Amino acid sequence: MLRLNRIAPRSLARALFTPALLAATLLPLAFTAESLAGVKLIALPERERVEIRLEQFGVTLVEEERTVPLAAGTNDVVFAWANTAIDKGTIQFRSLTTPDQIKVLSVSYPPNESALTWQISAPTAGPAKVRISYVIVGIDKSYEYRAETSKDEKTLTLWQYVQLHNKTPETFGESGMSFGFGDRLERPIGRNETRKILAARFDEVKVRKTYTADLAAFGMLDPAKQQLKIPMHYVLENDTEHGLGKFPLDNGKVRIFQADDKGNVAFLGEDWGPFAAKDDEWRLYVGVAKDVVVKRIIERKNRKQTAGSLSDYDVIVKYEIENFKDEPVTVDIIETMPNLRGEIIGNGNLLPQWEIGAEGSMREFDKAKSNVDRVIFHVQAPARGADQKAIKKTETLHVVFRNEW
Amino acid sequence: MRLLLVSLLCTILLASRAAIAQNIDMSTLPSRDTVQLTIYNSEDLTLVRETRHVTVKNGVTQLQFSWANTLIDASSVTIRLADRRLELVDTRYPHDRPQTLYWSIRSSYDGDATVEISYFTSGISWSADYVGVVNAAETTMAFDGFVTITNNSGEDYEGANVRMVVGTINLVEQIRQLAERGIVAKDVAEQAAGAKHMRDMPEAARMELGRSILSAGSGGVMADASGMVKESLSEYFIFTVPGEETVKNGWSKRMRLFSQEGQQKDGGTVPFRTEYRYRPQEYGDQLVRLFLIRNDEASKLGESPLPDGAVRLFRQTGDGLSVLAFVSTKYVPIGQEFEFNLGRDPQVILERLVMEQSRDDFWFQSNNPQKLVSPTKGERIDPSYAVSGWNDRAKRVERVRNYRGAAITVAWRFGLDGDLLFRSSLNPTLFDFRTPEFSTTVNAGETKDLGYEVVAKQGSNAKQQHVTLEAAQ
Repeated sequence: MLRLNRIAPRSLARALFTPALLAATLLPLAFTAESLAGVKLIALPERERVEIRLEQFGVTLVEEERTVPLAAGTNDVVFAWANTAIDKGTIQFRSLTTPDQIKVLSVSYPPNESALTWQISAPTAGPAKVRISYVIVGIDKSYEYRAETSKDEKTLTLWQYVQLHNKTPETFGESGMSFGFGDRLERPIGRNETRKILAARFDEVKVRKTYTADLAAFGMLDPAKQQLKIPMHYVLENDTEHGLGKFPLDNGKVRIFQADDKGNVAFLGEDWGPFAAKDDEWRLYVGVAKDVVVKRIIERKNRKQTAGSLSDYDVIVKYEIENFKDEPVTVDIIETMPNLRGEIIGNGNLLPQWEIGAEGSMREFDKAKSNVDRVIFHVQAPARGADQKAIKKTETLHVVFRNEW
Repeated sequence: MRLLLVSLLCTILLASRAAIAQNIDMSTLPSRDTVQLTIYNSEDLTLVRETRHVTVKNGVTQLQFSWANTLIDASSVTIRLADRRLELVDTRYPHDRPQTLYWSIRSSYDGDATVEISYFTSGISWSADYVGVVNAAETTMAFDGFVTITNNSGEDYEGANVRMVVGTINLVEQIRQLAERGIVAKDVAEQAAGAKHMRDMPEAARMELGRSILSAGSGGVMADASGMVKESLSEYFIFTVPGEETVKNGWSKRMRLFSQEGQQKDGGTVPFRTEYRYRPQEYGDQLVRLFLIRNDEASKLGESPLPDGAVRLFRQTGDGLSVLAFVSTKYVPIGQEFEFNLGRDPQVILERLVMEQSRDDFWFQSNNPQKLVSPTKGERIDPSYAVSGWNDRAKRVERVRNYRGAAITVAWRFGLDGDLLFRSSLNPTLFDFRTPEFSTTVNAGETKDLGYEVVAKQGSNAKQQHVTLEAAQ
């Protein structure tokens, strides 16, 4: 708990000030008898305003304002924070009343105490509004999101909640909170409590569903049948065109629901949303698409000796895609070349030197999203037929690994 | 004992906010008006939605919601206010009062309001199981599906609208762990541990336990859930039980998922085909018998995907049933063919024989100069030269003896490692670069030999790691 005490000028009787809320625990600190000798309690300056700033990850700054009656001359003002973890090196005192005249002359730290004493010089007697700032441990924030998609899964409503966790025994009362992004919020903050507040709501956010066949990232659903696990993602763009883009989205758990026209709501899945700067993509793994079946088969593996112990490897990867849905889907097929090389040649120290061959049906990859390690193809899979059977679509990727030994 | 541990206390607090931190006086204890359970089978997760009537006053009303001794995830509890005159100001979780939260609701009127509260709970699960009875000729099947709901959540849910979701959702944290971050009574934790134990149990043991539950718990009376509504939901499928169900804590309830009318009488109407397969990668090193069915209308199915679950297969005999197999099936989309693996058939025997083996095409390492030399090239082989490469030749036979009364189809698919030549007249194809596959029909009472030759290039003769097919002369 925090206490702010003012001790009158040395020429006068020394006085101690404590906040009203802490009057019941007056003097819990083990001040030395000498330091408190002749103390006279004359006022209880309460916090008049509190601002809690959580802009920096892991660092919480509290700024509070109080009115302290000062006498002309030098005043001793004691600030104590028993049972509260405050970094004493960060505590600052600033006068908002005639700041150019009311000055801190020195700061004294009593041994083995969570306390300090400011020596404040005031030109005239009277009340002074002061701002005290400090970094406190035990108050932090987290974000969570709730998304509710439309029936067609083209748009969603996104609610952003901020949770302020006060794990300190200190009650701050009505406090302003700044989180770095979004609006400043104002709520009472009690001791040892979490307060969850709606920070922002975004309607009609455009969302894109993707299906991904990526052995290296997601593995197999049924290894015996060489069936890949096909995750379904929701992709949001943090820009105004897609209904977001007002500020960066901080990381937090995103829970996704879908409502139907009968008023029912179902949970579709959840993922950790990473920090997304403006214009960044938010890619959320929602669940496994079991109605999109992709089998991956190494159809060809030929070694061709080129010179000495140098060889090229000629590889064809076959994908059998069956879409058991009533609507066509696009499947993102991803091959991670170091992994494919490991499958074909084994792990070694050589970086894979590869090129796409002409014999495969998939030759044009998404250059914007691909790189030397990872190539992405977009493949359309038609809806199942009227007889309910899926139309098996076969795609092949021809890769040549060069200069292996 | 009836449990109702989830409670909502409504308190009108128009006093100062400081009073909020004090113990809140209880003014009403509104009971649930409606409750809906959406139960997931891929995770230990149920979404509960309930509505309650509360009284609000003009100003700020505090609602306390607590869920002691249940497995509810505190972070999932949300309130929805349909009346636009109401606004949720914030939600407060006092750290010294586990499993309790307070909602501050601002109202612009005095009167009643309906609130919808939803949350995730652990401890409620559902599973599917199937019973298939094939006719004596093994051509058609009566195929029934069932679902069983088990509630070990610590809470009774009476008059609930029950929905079950098929599919694999992504969860980044387990609901049970989230629920246990609060204080959970020991007995509820043990119940939840029991539910987990059930999940982790081997299939056979679970089926046995399931049978004992069914025989002891339901008294042989099947809950009537005919007319179950089936609809798709994003990547999942949802089954809705018609009407209302009471799902008491500690109880299980089994309901019919689907059934074909009158099919039990004569061994059913669902057509299927039988195939024998030797595929070590999929079924182990044995020839297995499979029943293959397509989940479509032609097979009297296809209304919905089939959730994964245990399958009990019986065969109709003259005056009763005989057990064929107790197996499990994975999720089957609409339109996909699925299989029941009946394992080894004592009436169909596969012998895998090696009839001849030899070595040829030798290459030697000469010392000076260092090079590979071959006698087949007419090169001289010094006694000091070591063998560096050769070919292993094996003539193999797949022998099938069919003691059944009908012709059967047998298919092979097996992987071979190395640089190999597969020479045969079996019209094989390559499943992948190392896996030949072929099939044949074996008539009733017939013993059939399928021969082929495998040439394995060894040592310096091995240039590749794949199988090449070659037609036999």
